[in-house]
Amino acid sequence: MTRRGREDRPAPAATRRGRTGLGMLVLGLGLGLAGAAAAGRLARSRKHADIHDASLRRTRDGAAILGASVLMDSAMEHFRGGYENRVMYLGPTMAAASVAASLSEPRLHPGGSAARVAHGACLVTGIVGTGFHLWNITRRPGGLSWNNLFYAAPIGAPGALSIAGLLGLATEAMAVRQEDRRTTGRALAALSGLSLLGESAEVALLHFRGAFHNPAMYLPITVPPLAGIVLVALAVRPHAGGQRVTRLLLRIVGGLGVLGTAFHVYGVSRNMGGWSNWRQNALAGPPTPAPISFTGLGLAGLAALDLLDNARDRA
Amino acid sequence: MTPDVGLASHGAEEAPRATAGRAPDVFSREGWVPMREHCRDEAVDFVIVGAGCGGSVLATKLAEAGHSVVLFDAGPFWRPLSDFASDEREQEKLYWLDERISGGDDPIEFGANNSGRGVGGSTTHFQMVSLRFRPEWFKSRSALGYAVDWPVDWKEMWHYYAEAERAMSISGPISYPWGPKRGRYPYRAHEVNEAGLVLARGAEALGVDWAPTPLATVSAPHGKSPPCVYRGMCKIGCSTNAKQSMLVTYIPRALAAGAEIRDLAMVGHIETGPDGRATGVEYHRDGGWHFQKARNVVVSAYSIETPRLLLNSACGRYPHGLANGNGQVGRHLMVHANHAVWAEFDREIRWYKGPPSMACCEHWNYDDDDPSRDFHGGYSFMSQGPLPSDFAGTLVGSTGAFGMDLRERMARYNRMAGLKIVGETMPQAENRVTLSDETDAFGLPRASVSFSYCDNDRRLYEHSQRFMTRMLEAAGGGNFLESASTAHLMGGCRMGHSPEDSVTDADGRSWEISNLWICDGSLMPTAGGVNPALTIVANAARIGDRMVRLAKRGEV
Repeated sequence: MTRRGREDRPAPAATRRGRTGLGMLVLGLGLGLAGAAAAGRLARSRKHADIHDASLRRTRDGAAILGASVLMDSAMEHFRGGYENRVMYLGPTMAAASVAASLSEPRLHPGGSAARVAHGACLVTGIVGTGFHLWNITRRPGGLSWNNLFYAAPIGAPGALSIAGLLGLATEAMAVRQEDRRTTGRALAALSGLSLLGESAEVALLHFRGAFHNPAMYLPITVPPLAGIVLVALAVRPHAGGQRVTRLLLRIVGGLGVLGTAFHVYGVSRNMGGWSNWRQNALAGPPTPAPISFTGLGLAGLAALDLLDNARDRA
Repeated sequence: MTPDVGLASHGAEEAPRATAGRAPDVFSREGWVPMREHCRDEAVDFVIVGAGCGGSVLATKLAEAGHSVVLFDAGPFWRPLSDFASDEREQEKLYWLDERISGGDDPIEFGANNSGRGVGGSTTHFQMVSLRFRPEWFKSRSALGYAVDWPVDWKEMWHYYAEAERAMSISGPISYPWGPKRGRYPYRAHEVNEAGLVLARGAEALGVDWAPTPLATVSAPHGKSPPCVYRGMCKIGCSTNAKQSMLVTYIPRALAAGAEIRDLAMVGHIETGPDGRATGVEYHRDGGWHFQKARNVVVSAYSIETPRLLLNSACGRYPHGLANGNGQVGRHLMVHANHAVWAEFDREIRWYKGPPSMACCEHWNYDDDDPSRDFHGGYSFMSQGPLPSDFAGTLVGSTGAFGMDLRERMARYNRMAGLKIVGETMPQAENRVTLSDETDAFGLPRASVSFSYCDNDRRLYEHSQRFMTRMLEAAGGGNFLESASTAHLMGGCRMGHSPEDSVTDADGRSWEISNLWICDGSLMPTAGGVNPALTIVANAARIGDRMVRLAKRGEV
């Protein structure tokens, strides 16, 4: 090794610093937007005499919960990544828009509205995000390896934003096509069923990464996929029956969202320093905002069931 | 009073902690767990000397089978949460730094890389690399044509490797590129740090396999161990207990099963009776010499102290030391060549982050046919993450850099990466431990160690430095620097097939004295090209099961 002089020493590599200020601003704005929309929702009449309107509302609430999960999760995870790429701001920003759009009431006639645009944009953002995450995974040595699937950008996460957008778009379509409940019910059952399967696959990957060190980690990869399969089956053969079992499964899925959040809070506490070191452990431990997305999908599934039941009554 | 995390506490070194029916709770800052105690005048089933990879595992196995066990260690009984500081100098307390006389053509440096002093042994500061031997190495002579065969079948060892990996919750890759298929590691491999990705890029460029290193630090919570937080202080003692050392895995099990541990207890002699059998051990603790009666004595003090204790226990009946009628005690001592190549990169690496060796390459342990191979045996190599004063030592040692020159080199620390081998050396009878004329503070003759590389050893490490330089170059590095050192110890009291050329049989029972056993790295007939800790643990588990079976048949 030769000695180098002061002059020809390379300039120190730029120290990467997370643009944390802007990240917190995005999260704050998102939370503010979601909070304002939620307040507006509370102020609104909650009475939905008609099963169709109630289902529609339920689906949008489910989408809002899903969006809120994505908002918090992506804000935290992208913060962890220091918002190194400016595109990373899109995740939480669009998730916030998704929450707001889902909490608003759909328009009853075709035509553009801010909410529809937002739902559509979320769908697209999720797809683009998946592309970015895939790029992040494959550019590392090892390519599409287990280690990269575990630790690079999570492959399934942006999909949740697409699902929130799709659920929103579905409710917009439902609002316009009031009469065709069987079709909308079937479509919604298929959408929420497939979403549950996708979400469970993501959980399976990440809980496998955690070596299923707690047996409770098997819960979200057993009940939700089962509910998802039954929902898809109902979408294919709406007359086959089994609604009551499906309804029970979906209620359990909704409960798992809450239980999972509690487990993740506990999981964070098992890291060195526990919650007293929350600034590191909330990011290093299991993601606390993630499990509640099951509750959102469970709501959408229940709405689909209501629609199918109602369609049968009228038949 | 609770000491703050990271504040050095010297309580463990001043007076024994495992006394009065309790032992330190290693998962607490100042707590205790109950400990069974044994009377000195009543013979216990087993006295085990040394609480490292061999002794801790064996004590657990024997105690869990219902035997009475007293486990001695010359060093302290740490509580990592309160006793381990994030400071390289402070943590030198984990090494066996008592003076030894080191000679030969290539004298071994003793300390950080090859010793431990304290309950848990060197696993309190090992780098957690947990690789299995290549199956053929257990038949090195008959399958590969060098050194000697082990008296153990690889399939039996494979079984115990799996057991050791479960006990230590090894975090390893889903599929491992080399060797026969193995079961799934209990925990998933860690995210590979930037220093490891340098190895990965280099390996992919050269077309050889690489893998995330199987490591003994958990990637998710396990019991009272939190997942690794990638502080990178592993090599000076993990202060979160994520590291699955003997101290936090087997030792709590041994205590729960009724084993007694005597810390700060230096065993000086093994006594033998008129019938030639071992009767117990004389040890120094709490300012005085004591004697513990035992029906069996197991020496698990590693490759220097195990031969030293056997040689120091010479008596009228055994004038050359115990189990040494054939003069094999202390011979066939091996090290691992620990040669390294370091390189500078344009970008920041920050190699100190995370466990030091997160990516590994065992290509040269398994490839027998490459035309460039001009040596017997094998070597693995891993990515590196030396802490600052450790690396400054490497720089001074290999370049003589000093003053401003050293300062400038160290200023590039964050943009450096390196590859370092664990290179097999051949067992040679003249590489050995003997006793010197000097005595230590206890009045015991010090160990005198002689070590020289053979030509094959030199060809091996020279090959490795050429290959690793190519790999670092392929990964985009420049301004290369080579360094040489050794790591680990193997052999010194090897097990074997016959009493003529070994000290013990396959069970670790000495050929000469039927109730004197050895169970540690000194049993290893060959070194292999991987870090020895997992092999020592697996072998100790195997010997433990074997001793329990023999005891049931009344053969112990």
